[in-house]
Amino acid sequence: MLGTNIKIKKDLWTKVKKVAAAGGYSSPEEFVVHVLEREVAKLDDAQSDEEIVRKLKGLGYID
Amino acid sequence: MSRIRRPRSMRTAAGLALMLLALASAWLYPHSTQSAYIGPGAGFAFLGSFLTLVAGFFLSLLSLLLWPFRMAWRAAGRRQGFRHARVRKIIFLGLDGLDARLTERLMAEGKLPNLAALAAEGGYRRLRTTCPALSPVAWSTFATGVGPGKHNIFDFLDRSLKSYLPELSSARVGKAERVLRIGRLRIPLTRPPIELRQKSQPFWKILGKQGIGSTILRVPITFPPEKFNGRLLSAMCTPDLKGTQGSFSQFTTRVETAIYENGSRYPLHRVAGGFAGEIEGPQDTFIEGHPVLRIPFRVTVDHGAAELHAQGRRCRLEPGEYTGWQPLSFRTAIGTKAAGMARFLLTETEPEFSIYMSPINIDPERPALPISHPSYYASYLAGLLGTFATLGMAEDTWALNEGAIDEDAFLRQAYDIYAEREAMFLETLESTRRGVVACVFDTSDRIQHMFYRRVGTADGHARTIEEMYCRMDDLVGKIRPFVDRDTALFVLSDHGFCAFRRGVNINAWLSDNGYLHLHNGAREGGAYFEGVDWSRTRAYALGLGGFYLNVEGREAQGIVARGPEAEQLEREIIDKLSALRDSDGAAPIRAVYATRLLYHGPYLDHAPDFMVGYNEGYRASWDGAVGKVSAQILENNPKAWSGDHCVDPALVPGVLFSNRKFDAADPGIEDLAPTALELFGLPVPAWMDGKPLMVR
Repeated sequence: MLGTNIKIKKDLWTKVKKVAAAGGYSSPEEFVVHVLEREVAKLDDAQSDEEIVRKLKGLGYID
Repeated sequence: MSRIRRPRSMRTAAGLALMLLALASAWLYPHSTQSAYIGPGAGFAFLGSFLTLVAGFFLSLLSLLLWPFRMAWRAAGRRQGFRHARVRKIIFLGLDGLDARLTERLMAEGKLPNLAALAAEGGYRRLRTTCPALSPVAWSTFATGVGPGKHNIFDFLDRSLKSYLPELSSARVGKAERVLRIGRLRIPLTRPPIELRQKSQPFWKILGKQGIGSTILRVPITFPPEKFNGRLLSAMCTPDLKGTQGSFSQFTTRVETAIYENGSRYPLHRVAGGFAGEIEGPQDTFIEGHPVLRIPFRVTVDHGAAELHAQGRRCRLEPGEYTGWQPLSFRTAIGTKAAGMARFLLTETEPEFSIYMSPINIDPERPALPISHPSYYASYLAGLLGTFATLGMAEDTWALNEGAIDEDAFLRQAYDIYAEREAMFLETLESTRRGVVACVFDTSDRIQHMFYRRVGTADGHARTIEEMYCRMDDLVGKIRPFVDRDTALFVLSDHGFCAFRRGVNINAWLSDNGYLHLHNGAREGGAYFEGVDWSRTRAYALGLGGFYLNVEGREAQGIVARGPEAEQLEREIIDKLSALRDSDGAAPIRAVYATRLLYHGPYLDHAPDFMVGYNEGYRASWDGAVGKVSAQILENNPKAWSGDHCVDPALVPGVLFSNRKFDAADPGIEDLAPTALELFGLPVPAWMDGKPLMVR
């Protein structure tokens, strides 16, 4: 995955590592991404109904 | 920040590209003058470009000089990776949905000699599956060694917290963020984001970091493929070229206009010497309104022999015989092409004429979306072994449900896909000396879904499922020559199977019991919660495994407060729903689970609040799974899709065989990832929920 690096102060990074391990994350990066995604999701635009139905079409388990 | 840093190989590639660019510029424009633009910034632009070229040249030179050292370092890393290994190679053969009870019965009857021999040599146990017992959930646990609360896959479907609409739980293909508009043209300036929503880390990624490579073939929930030290071909939830999970087409003289359902029916017009029609492909996203791209085709019929003509190619159509994969190239408004492929089947010739076309699979030789890692791996396999199905759920169950193909045609298709996969698997085993080879076969799952109703009948397909188990046993025999004393072989399934005779509409039950309300007191709603009054709705169901509370501050229109109110409601619903009875007094539900007590991990908030453990014979109804409130809570399942596994996990354990003896009284599918790490002498990370099987 191509991406952007963000600098985080060492003290904060140490705390991030502890919290991530205690929370069951597989890495501090996963924890940081999860926290950011949760916040960004609040601003995400919802897809149209037609688009959602189209993408799920053909999934054997649902009609 | 290893997940988001540009990999070393990419940096090298970028450096080389810059160097080539520099050389090309010097050759193309040896004395060119900068006359097109004069003004402020031109000098900076020239200087900037010049410095970039110089820097690029020296970086590339440095990269080339360091190449032998990097290769040596990598080789040393590989040796280091295997330093404490107890095996040289691990093979995982996944047989999706292979049921423990049926496997045990057939073994006892002597019909599965290879599996029986494996059990005698090493061991066999029933394998505990996940809750819910669904492939995306269970295979994610296989890959990561963690439960759903840590890998974030709880069902096939997830819901939008804003709109309550369903989304695929495993992957999200978005739109380009920035688009240049020129008249009706829409040119994307950024790549559309494609995101794998599975979290945690697959064990092959952890092995790769230690220099132990893996080849992962069609293990579910690997689309889009992530970079790691190894090769991977994506599986379940890889879309077709239209972006759907698989839309078949039927071209027929039986309809006048197109009918769009799970598959689509298109008119076939009678013309001189045959028939004419149009293949509908993906949307042209480069044009306003995204019109559908089409390929016209013609079918000639001469003395009973039919030929399909499209895009300057032709292929023969024989009744009851599938064509090979036919390339289909859809040209967009800006001249780019989307490459797909499909197989055709002539299903009737008189008095009506009909042709079935499979979903348009992404062509592995020219993939329109990333379907493998490295990106060229799919093309490599296609070049080596011939092209192959790439769609996530490639066996066309909806075409059989809707009568576009019959049972024999479905079986042929399923076994053709099986043959493609087997060739891929055996070739990989042939060429892999060490590391991991994992391959999942879906044939066992799809055939049980579609032929369960035939078991125990006098129908010609009464033994189709049993025969499929024997074919899977043959496969185990074929891979035995690749299993030497330094190899650990595991044959496993993600869940078992049982009948699906009656559907339970949880939304209808919630409505009848006052937890879900429709506008204007209506008794029935539409799909995707059409008609639901969210301001009065406290719970709703979506997907196959569970259902949700409408929580304040979580759902956009949530009304249930977290804490005591939610917990009281949770207890009340569990008590009432567990007491549900069918018309004959049978209990459709074995248990209802509160997921806050079932799961742990950082993604618990994404989980349904309840999981329903259906009894054998029952499942979430077709309507209920897509958020529809129907008039009846319980209804018969009339479809060919007559077997399922979306029941209480205790009723559908999978199987686990190994050539090595192993100690584990109650092995779970989460134990395989830590077992792989342990066999290669690596420590098991603290975040993993599984425990290594004590393999001897």
